[in-house]
Amino acid sequence: MTISHRIRNRLGLGLVAVSLLSGTALAQDMPAPFNNPGDVEIALVRYLSTGDFFQAYLSGVETQAAALGVNLRVLDSRQDAALQADMVDQAIALGVDGIIIQHGLTESMKEAAQRAVDAGIKVVAFDVNVENQAVPQIEQSDRDLARLALEQAIKDNGESFRAGYVYVAGIAPLDRRDETWREFKEKYPGIEEVAQFGTMDNPIANSVANQARSVVTANPDITVMFAPYDEFAKGVKIAVDEAGLTSSVKIYSADISTSDIAAMREPGSAWVATAATNPAVVGEVSVRALAMMLAGEDPGASVIVPPTLITQADLLDKNITNMEELGSNLPQFAHADVATPDWMPLPEGRE
Amino acid sequence: MTETLATTPTARPRAPLNLRNVLIRYGFVTLLLGLIIFFSAMTRGFASPQSAVFVLQSVSITGILALGVTATLVVGGFDLSIGSVATTAMMASSYVMVVMGGDAVTATLACLAIGVVVGLINGVLIVYMRVPDLLATLGMMFLLVGLQRIPTEGRSIATGMSMPDGSVANGTFSPEFLALGRHRFDFFLPSLLPVSVVVLIALAVVIWFFLEHTRFGRMMYAVGSNERAAQLAGAPVNAYKIGAYVISGVFASIGGILLAARLGRGDIASGNNLLLDAVAAALIGFAVLGASKPNAFGTAIGALFVGVLLQGLTMMNAPYYTQDFVKGAVLVVALVFTFALSKRGKR
Amino acid sequence: MVEEAMFRVEGLRKSFGTIQVLDGVDLDLRAGSVTVLMGANGAGKSTLVRIVSGVYSRDAGTMTLAGRNYDPTTPAEAMRAGVVTVHQNINDGVVADLDVATNLMLDRLSGKGARWFFNRRRVYSEAREVADRMGLAFDLRANINELTLAERQMVAIARAMSREPQVLILDEPTSSLSSAEADRLFALVNRLKTRGVAILYISHRMSDIRRLSDKIVALRDGHISGVFEGPELDYEGAVNAMLGRRVGRGDLAVSEGGDTVFTTKNLQIAPGAKPFALNLRRGEVVAITGLVGVGKTVLAEILFGARKPISGEMRLNGRPYAPRSTHQAIGAGVFLVAKDRSDSGIVPDFNIYENVSLPFLRRFSPYSVSNRKAERLRARQQISELGIVCRTERDDMSTLSGGNQQKVMVARWMSQKAELLILDEPFQGVDIAARRDIGNKLRVSAGERATLVFLTEIDEAFEIADRILVMSEHTIVGEHRNSNVDVTQLLAEIAGQHKVTNLD
Repeated sequence: MTISHRIRNRLGLGLVAVSLLSGTALAQDMPAPFNNPGDVEIALVRYLSTGDFFQAYLSGVETQAAALGVNLRVLDSRQDAALQADMVDQAIALGVDGIIIQHGLTESMKEAAQRAVDAGIKVVAFDVNVENQAVPQIEQSDRDLARLALEQAIKDNGESFRAGYVYVAGIAPLDRRDETWREFKEKYPGIEEVAQFGTMDNPIANSVANQARSVVTANPDITVMFAPYDEFAKGVKIAVDEAGLTSSVKIYSADISTSDIAAMREPGSAWVATAATNPAVVGEVSVRALAMMLAGEDPGASVIVPPTLITQADLLDKNITNMEELGSNLPQFAHADVATPDWMPLPEGRE
Repeated sequence: MTETLATTPTARPRAPLNLRNVLIRYGFVTLLLGLIIFFSAMTRGFASPQSAVFVLQSVSITGILALGVTATLVVGGFDLSIGSVATTAMMASSYVMVVMGGDAVTATLACLAIGVVVGLINGVLIVYMRVPDLLATLGMMFLLVGLQRIPTEGRSIATGMSMPDGSVANGTFSPEFLALGRHRFDFFLPSLLPVSVVVLIALAVVIWFFLEHTRFGRMMYAVGSNERAAQLAGAPVNAYKIGAYVISGVFASIGGILLAARLGRGDIASGNNLLLDAVAAALIGFAVLGASKPNAFGTAIGALFVGVLLQGLTMMNAPYYTQDFVKGAVLVVALVFTFALSKRGKR
Repeated sequence: MVEEAMFRVEGLRKSFGTIQVLDGVDLDLRAGSVTVLMGANGAGKSTLVRIVSGVYSRDAGTMTLAGRNYDPTTPAEAMRAGVVTVHQNINDGVVADLDVATNLMLDRLSGKGARWFFNRRRVYSEAREVADRMGLAFDLRANINELTLAERQMVAIARAMSREPQVLILDEPTSSLSSAEADRLFALVNRLKTRGVAILYISHRMSDIRRLSDKIVALRDGHISGVFEGPELDYEGAVNAMLGRRVGRGDLAVSEGGDTVFTTKNLQIAPGAKPFALNLRRGEVVAITGLVGVGKTVLAEILFGARKPISGEMRLNGRPYAPRSTHQAIGAGVFLVAKDRSDSGIVPDFNIYENVSLPFLRRFSPYSVSNRKAERLRARQQISELGIVCRTERDDMSTLSGGNQQKVMVARWMSQKAELLILDEPFQGVDIAARRDIGNKLRVSAGERATLVFLTEIDEAFEIADRILVMSEHTIVGEHRNSNVDVTQLLAEIAGQHKVTNLD
C-alpha cells in the first residue's frame, strides 16, 4: 500500500473533517487500516451513471464511505468502455487502496481489474463479471427479483392465467430475470404467454406504452403483465389505462422509484406489485465488502443483496409516498444485513 | 420536320401517365392501404375505431415533431435538436409543477417559451453565425441533453423526489396538465379521441395550410429551393429561416408537453428515438403523392405509415428489432421513390 | 489545310422518350481547323456535344477519330481518346475550394499513372508551364472562389488544353468573357489550330464566329440545315439556315422619353470610383454597356436595394429613394430581372405561375392566403404576351428551354406595373428568336415605366435601346442616343479607359 506523501498532504485537512463528521464507531475500534481511516482512499469507477438507480447507488456508496471515514474518489466513464478501463489505470496510478467497479463490459474490464489486483489493490465489482477469483461480485439478485414478483402474481391470480411479457434480449439483468420467467412457465403450465414485446427506445415508457397498447388491443383477455423493469411497467400501465383495461389487468414488475410509488398508489392502479433492491443499499454493501477485504477479511466470492417485495397494499396501508418513506416503513428495504462484521460502522439510522 | 420558326415549341411534353408515374404518385398511399387491409385480416382487433385512434395516438408525438422538422426542411435546413427539445420541455414542465409548484398554464407556457428560445438560437446560429444547420442543431441537441439534467443532478422528476439540496419536491402534476395526455373527447363513440390526437390533427392542418396556402409558406419553399432567387424576389430570407426553426422548436416543445402529460413525470431522455422517428416520417413524406419535397400532408401520412406498421407488427408479436428493420426499410424505399424514380430528384 | 477529317460523325440519332432530338447528324472536323456549330436553343447542340464527349450514348450512327472507331461510354474515356470538352457551365470545369494550380493539374493528379504523393512544388512548376503557354497571369495560389466567372472560364479552358487534345470542343466559351479575355481565348484557339487540333466551336455570337470560323455548320431541329465553307463564308446564309428565317436588325423608332422617373446624384458605387448621375425617363429604354466586371451588376443591385452605394443619392419620381432591402425596392416599383437566371432568378421547385407570382405574392394573397387562381390567370396572360412555349402555366421550369426560362423571368417582373424595370444581361444563354421576343416586348411596353438594361454585347444594345450609356471602372463614361451612333467612339469608351491589369 503506497500512498504518496503528496496526496496525503493534499487530502489531509479534508479527510480530518470527514472523519470528524461521520462514523458512528470510533476509529480505534476498527481493524487496520481503518484505525486511521483518513489515510484510506477508495475509487468508484462507473460505467453507467445517469438515471435514478445510479444516482441512488452513488449516494449509498457515499454514505457508507463517510460512515467509515475513508476518502472516496468517483471516476465516471459515461458508458465509454475504453475510458472506464483507462480510469482503472488512473486509479492505480493515484495509488488508491481499493476500487469498486460499477457496471461495464467484461471484455474491457477483465484486464483492467487484473492490473489493479496485480498492483496490490483490493477490487470489488458490481453487476459486471470481471472473471477474476480475487474480485468478489456484488450482485442484486435478478433471479430473486423476478421470483418474488412472480410468486406474488401466482398468489394473486392462481396457477394459470394468460400473460403478456415485456422483455428485450441482450441486457444482462433482463436476461437473468428472463431465466426465472421461463422456469416459472415450466413449473406452472397453466401460465400462457400470449404476447411478448419490449423496446429500449427512449423515452422507454412512452415506446413501451405504444407497443403495449397494440398488445392489449389484440389480446384483451390478458390478465397478468410481467414487466420486470420499472420503465416497462410504467409503459404498460399507461397503455392499460388508455385502453380502459385497468381493472382487468395486473402488472408485476421489478425495481422501484419515487414516481413508481406514485403510479402504484393511484386509485385502482393496475400495477400491483414490484420486487426491488434498494440501489443505495447495494452501494453501501459494495463499500462494506471492499472494506472487509482491506481489513483482511473475506466477504465471499459473491455478495448478494436480497430484494424486497413491495405491494400496492404495503404502500397504501403504510402510507408510503416516496423512497425515504419506503426505507423507514419497510426496514428490509432500507438495510441489508450483508457484509456487516461487528466492527463495521453503518450509516446513521441503519441497524 | 416541317419548316418552322425558331420559336416553335421545343418544350418536352409532360411525362405521360405511365406505370412509373402512377407508382411514384400513388405507390405509398396504395402501400398504406394494403398494409391496413393486411393487418386487419391477420390480427384480431386491428380494424376498429379504437385501434385507428390508437395508431394516431402512438404517432402523435413523433408526428408533431415531424411536422415541425418539415418546416426546417422546407427552407432547406434541418433540425437535429427536436428530440432533445421535446425531452427538455418534458423535464421543464415537470420541474415547474413538481418542484416549483406551478400550475398547468405556467408549465405549458414555460415549455413553449423553451421551444421559441431554442428555435431562435438555432436560427441565429445558422443565419447570422453561419454555422451549418446540421452542426448548429447537433450542438444544441447535446447542450439540451445536458441542460435538462442540471436542475435535478440527473434525476428524473416525480412527486416526492428528493432534491440535490436534500429537500423533498412536493408539487404534483396538475390534473389539467395530465388531462392533456389522458383526457378523451367523445367522437361518435364516447371517450374516443385523446387530446394528443386532436392536437396532432390540428397542428397538421395548421402547418399544411400555412405551407400550402399562405404566402409565407410559399416564400419558405422558395427560400429552400433557391435562396438567392427568393432574396432577389424581395423575401426576407433570414427571417423566414429563423422562423422555420422557431416553428420546429415550438412544435417539438408541444410534443414534449404531451409526452410529459402521458408519462406523468419528467424522465431523463435524449429524445434521439423521437428525433429519428420524426425525421423518418418527414422523409417518407417526400414520397407521398410524388411530391419529392418536404410537405405537411406527406409528413402526416409518413407518420401514419410508421404507426400502422408498428402497431400491426406488434399485434402480430414481431420482436422490436424487426420493427426497427422494417422502419428502416420503409425509409430506404421512400428515399428511392423520392430521389431515383421521380423526375425532380434526377436533377 | 489537311484534307482528311480528324473526327467524323455520321448518321447520329438520339431521342429522349418520344422526342427525336438528333435526327441523322453528319459532321466532319478537320485537324487544324475551327468548325463553328450554330443552332438556336433546342436545336440539339448540347445533345450533340454530350454524345461526342461521352456523357450520353447515341441511338444510332458512327463516330470515328483519326480513322478509328470512336465509341466513348464515359467522359473520362472520351478525354483519354483525345476528345476534350469545355462545357458552357463554368463550374463544371473547375473545382471550387482548390487553388488555380491544382485545378490546372487536376487531371494529371487523378488520371492513370498519377503519382501517389502530392508534390506541391512539382504541381506548381507544371501549372506555371501550362499557365504560361495559355498566357494566364493569375496567381496560381489563388483560390478558384476568389476568381471572377471569366477568370474561372479561362482556368477551365487552360485545364482542357493541358490534356493535349486532338479534338477540342468549346461550348459557348465566351458567353461570360469580356472582349479582352475573349481575344486571349481566340489567340489561344489559333495557336491550337496551328498545332493541328480539330476544334468544334459552339457559339451564338456573330463576332466570335466572324473571327474564328473556317467552316460553319448550322443545326436546326436535330439535323444539319446548312454547311458553309470556302474562303468567303456566307454568314447571313448560316444565320438563315440556323433560324429558318431572315433576321434583320429592326429599325428602331428612337424615343426621347417622357417625364423623369429616376435620377441619381453623385452616386458612387465602389470605393475610389468616380461618382456619376443617371437620369431615366418614362417610355425610354436605356442600355448600359461595358465589359464584364466594370460595375454593371453592382449598379443594378444598388438600384434594387440588394447592395448599398458608397455615397450619393437616388430619387424615384422626385422623392428620395434609398431601399434597404429588395423588398422595399419592389414596394417602390423598382424591379430587377437578375443576371444568371438559374442562380438568381428561377426557383426550380416552382412551376411557371409560381415563379411569375413569387415577388408579388402579397398582392395575390388577401389576408396572406394565396389565391392560385388569380396567380394562374396572370401567368397565362404573361405566357401569351411573351410567347412562352409551354403546355400550361403549371409546367415545371425544367421542361422549358433556356430562352423560355428567361421569358418566364421577364414575365415575372412585367406581370406588375413597374416604375423602373432593370434587366441585367437578359439575353445571356438565350437564342436569337427568344431574344427578339423579349426585346420587342420590352420596347412595346416601355411607355409605362423607365427601363434600364445592362448588356455586355453592344449589338444587343443597338437592338433594343433608345439611349446607350457606357460604363467603365464603376462609373458612366459615355452616352449615345441610338441613332447614327459613332461606333468607334463607343468602342473607345468601352475599351479606352479599361486597364487590362490582371491579364497583361
